[in-house]
Amino acid sequence: ASGHGKSGSVFSEYPNTKIGSLSALKKSGELDFSYPSASSLCKAVFVDGEAKAFSTICTHKGCPTAYNKSAGVFECPCHFTKYDAKKDGQMIIGHATGGLPKVLLEIKGDDIYAVGMDGLIFGRINNNIG
Amino acid sequence: MAITLNDRLPIPHKDAEVKNITCEFCIVGCGYKAYKWPQGREGALKNNALGVDLGEQQPTYGEWCSERMYNTVTDRDGKKYNLMVIPDQDCVVNIGQNSVRGGMMGVSTFNATSATRDRLKEPMIYRGGMLMETSWEEAATLVAKVYKRVIDNDGADEISHKTFDHGGGGGGFENTWATGKLFHTAIGTNSASIHNRPAYNSEVHSSREMGIGELNSSYYDTSISDVMMVVGCNPYECQTNLFNIHMQPNLEGATIENKKKEYESGESAQKGKIIFVDPRRTASVVIAEKIAGKDNVLHLKLKPGTDITLMNALVTYIFEKGWEAKDFIKNHTENFAEMYKVNKISLKDAAKITDLKESDIVKAAEWIAKPKKSGHRPRNAIYYEKGIIWGIKNYECVASVVNLGMLTHSVGRVGTGICRAGGHQEGYTRPHYNGPSRQNLAVIDTDIIEGKYLVYSIWATNPFGQSIATERLRNAVTKRSQIVKDAINGYHGNDLDELAEIIYRATKIGGLFVVDADIYPNQATQRSHIVFPAATTMEMNLTSMSGERRLRLSEKVMDAPGSSKPDCLIAADIANALKAEYLKAGNKEMAKRFEGFEWKSEEDAFNDGFAGQGASMASQGGGTGKLANYSNLRKAGNNGVQLPIIKRDGDKLIGTRLHYSDGKFGTKSGRATFLPTPQPAMPAQVAKQQKRFKYWVNTGRINEVWQSNYHTGRLEFTAKRWPMAPLEIHPKDAKDIGVISGDIVQLSNDYGSTRAIAVVTDCVREGEVFGGFGFQNSIINDLCTDYVDPDTKIPFYKGTVADIVRVGRSEPLIKDMTFVERA
Repeated sequence: ASGHGKSGSVFSEYPNTKIGSLSALKKSGELDFSYPSASSLCKAVFVDGEAKAFSTICTHKGCPTAYNKSAGVFECPCHFTKYDAKKDGQMIIGHATGGLPKVLLEIKGDDIYAVGMDGLIFGRINNNIG
Repeated sequence: MAITLNDRLPIPHKDAEVKNITCEFCIVGCGYKAYKWPQGREGALKNNALGVDLGEQQPTYGEWCSERMYNTVTDRDGKKYNLMVIPDQDCVVNIGQNSVRGGMMGVSTFNATSATRDRLKEPMIYRGGMLMETSWEEAATLVAKVYKRVIDNDGADEISHKTFDHGGGGGGFENTWATGKLFHTAIGTNSASIHNRPAYNSEVHSSREMGIGELNSSYYDTSISDVMMVVGCNPYECQTNLFNIHMQPNLEGATIENKKKEYESGESAQKGKIIFVDPRRTASVVIAEKIAGKDNVLHLKLKPGTDITLMNALVTYIFEKGWEAKDFIKNHTENFAEMYKVNKISLKDAAKITDLKESDIVKAAEWIAKPKKSGHRPRNAIYYEKGIIWGIKNYECVASVVNLGMLTHSVGRVGTGICRAGGHQEGYTRPHYNGPSRQNLAVIDTDIIEGKYLVYSIWATNPFGQSIATERLRNAVTKRSQIVKDAINGYHGNDLDELAEIIYRATKIGGLFVVDADIYPNQATQRSHIVFPAATTMEMNLTSMSGERRLRLSEKVMDAPGSSKPDCLIAADIANALKAEYLKAGNKEMAKRFEGFEWKSEEDAFNDGFAGQGASMASQGGGTGKLANYSNLRKAGNNGVQLPIIKRDGDKLIGTRLHYSDGKFGTKSGRATFLPTPQPAMPAQVAKQQKRFKYWVNTGRINEVWQSNYHTGRLEFTAKRWPMAPLEIHPKDAKDIGVISGDIVQLSNDYGSTRAIAVVTDCVREGEVFGGFGFQNSIINDLCTDYVDPDTKIPFYKGTVADIVRVGRSEPLIKDMTFVERA
């Protein structure tokens, strides 16, 4: 199911995108970015001594989740679905049919790169569209 | 560049076949659309079956298919298809939203390379020490030959059966009609029980005897009520879109305009309030507080088994205040004085028994009965479910809630209702059950344990995980079915008459011939001698009715695996085989009993039952069910029609939003009848346990786990989330036992033992634990006593007592399990 998007990129290829620095993430505990395109809101979090990142759009009906840093939980304000950042975005309770889509990260020195996605972003038939 | 495999789906082709599907799971009955198109053929971003530009990010609430709404399927002709099952934006029940269960209907369908690959595909027969595939003819003929011997020599009542009576997955009017006709009329056995309980009975006998059918309102009326009272149920988890689509907007104040339109002129209309009656602080309570604020949510966290006292106290207080619905009581009810004489109780006594504050009981009474600012009576949508139905004494538990509803005229008025919230959908149309009165019903599973019956037919259910005293039941049936297996093992020929005679003789020395019809292998299959593979939702056309009596046709989308058949056609095979046996024996009179099963399709069964019988049978369609057919139901789509049908206008079916708006109830007098409901004593079995064991064990469902966990225990997402049943334990109790979240614990009492994963939380009361229901690898009902309400034979599944010890811990087992507080 690969093809070409409107920007000419191949659907099945993800960009390598630098999203921030590991030291800054460790300090703040969270880091907002968009990936793989501008309309796809994501957040990197630092939990259990590790950088993790997720699409922040609830996969139930597409509402933006809020991150509860002290609990390490993404919370949807629309229908109260909750996801556990420490367990790879596992759904704690709610109506989504899976965990939050994960952004695959690579750490090079202090730089964090988003390099791909594991899971389908809400509102997309293909993560590289939209 | 990284490439992953779960980050894209094929685009549904513009020519995809589109079918209406009613969710196969909970009673709410959300509408879905199934899109099916050949593999290898994709649509275009701007030109596709969904009719939206899939090159764009879809907005919040927009059309979308998650990975688990998608699957690939193969029909019997070998052709392969893509399948998407997504929530229907035009369905008034769910307006495009899914529950976690319904959202997984795509991934739950049969796929030979996925988690559903172990579906039963062919009939099986126990021969040579194992179950092996056979023909439909051999399976049905052997069953018929054994059944005939039993009927002729011992009487039909020696054939016991446990059969679904519901709508939704596997059930539906087609299948309940066929199985009812087979067992009630053709075979003629009274030894019957229903899928989730040990006898053949209603869960709401008392409500019906009071003249009030249990599904008398609509979700719309709930959305415009002043107060929602939710007793012994957890709608966020168990009736998801009733809560999110209809209760939530009411709590948010988003339905005030509708209230103004529907209420009387000048009547106060404000955002809704909600009262929960539950020993647990459930997800519904916590989320309702987030939506409406604590001032608009009242949680009565009562002592288990004391709901009746609470209801009686509310009745008393409201009556003493003069807030009862005087005109309604005078003109449309009876037996008030007799009820009140028995039920009257002081606030002080009630508070002591229920472990509640007097002020909270008063607050609840004020919310549901004190006149509003405008002087009008509050409109209450009262829901009750398994916390009541499976409570200390079913008959009085349900009646006590209905008493309160009648006292406050919470039935037959716009914005009211006294309804069960429900589990699965409904789909009952059957010949009348001619068994004994409710007080004298056979308790089949207890009888089986005690060695009664020669045959145990298990149809689309797993009593070994979901009946009473399940460990005892499993052990008894293992032993008794083995006697038949041993007899079969001694015969190496292939004469079905000889084999049937061998099986029959084995049943006469304590053996039990077990016949199972299901979609997956389970603990029933393991103990069976004949297994029939059944079709389910999307593999056949099915009609069901939701919690607001909404009848829909859920259409066939794909072929069932192997040679599996709709249950109605399996029942027909057995009936036709019995007819052939009797004709061969020259017994035309008995052969005649098995006539009327000449169906070629599920539509034939629908036309014979629901649409054919009208009021002559026990049918949720009633007399006007005859107006429905597949053609007009297909046109009605996912909005269907609310039963009873009033009339047919051309092809359009006109239904009923609200019952009893004429003030006439289902009693001989036409008046709703109050019933005395004294607080019952603790059943002897449980009282005995309370002296020996430490922890009260409550049980219930979890959002992600459906019924016996048949799909969800297999699917990766839910199986990882819940590898075993969770057991919620109060922090203080956890400290005493020496457990932390994630530890494996063992529960044991005089009925059995089981294991679970500890979840430490203060949502349960101290000294009380809550176990997840329906898990097949950690069965909480192994602890359940064999007590049933002597008046209705409904169990007290929610009440048993056990000791708990820590067993150990397995990190790999809980690797993917989150222990963050659920709400």
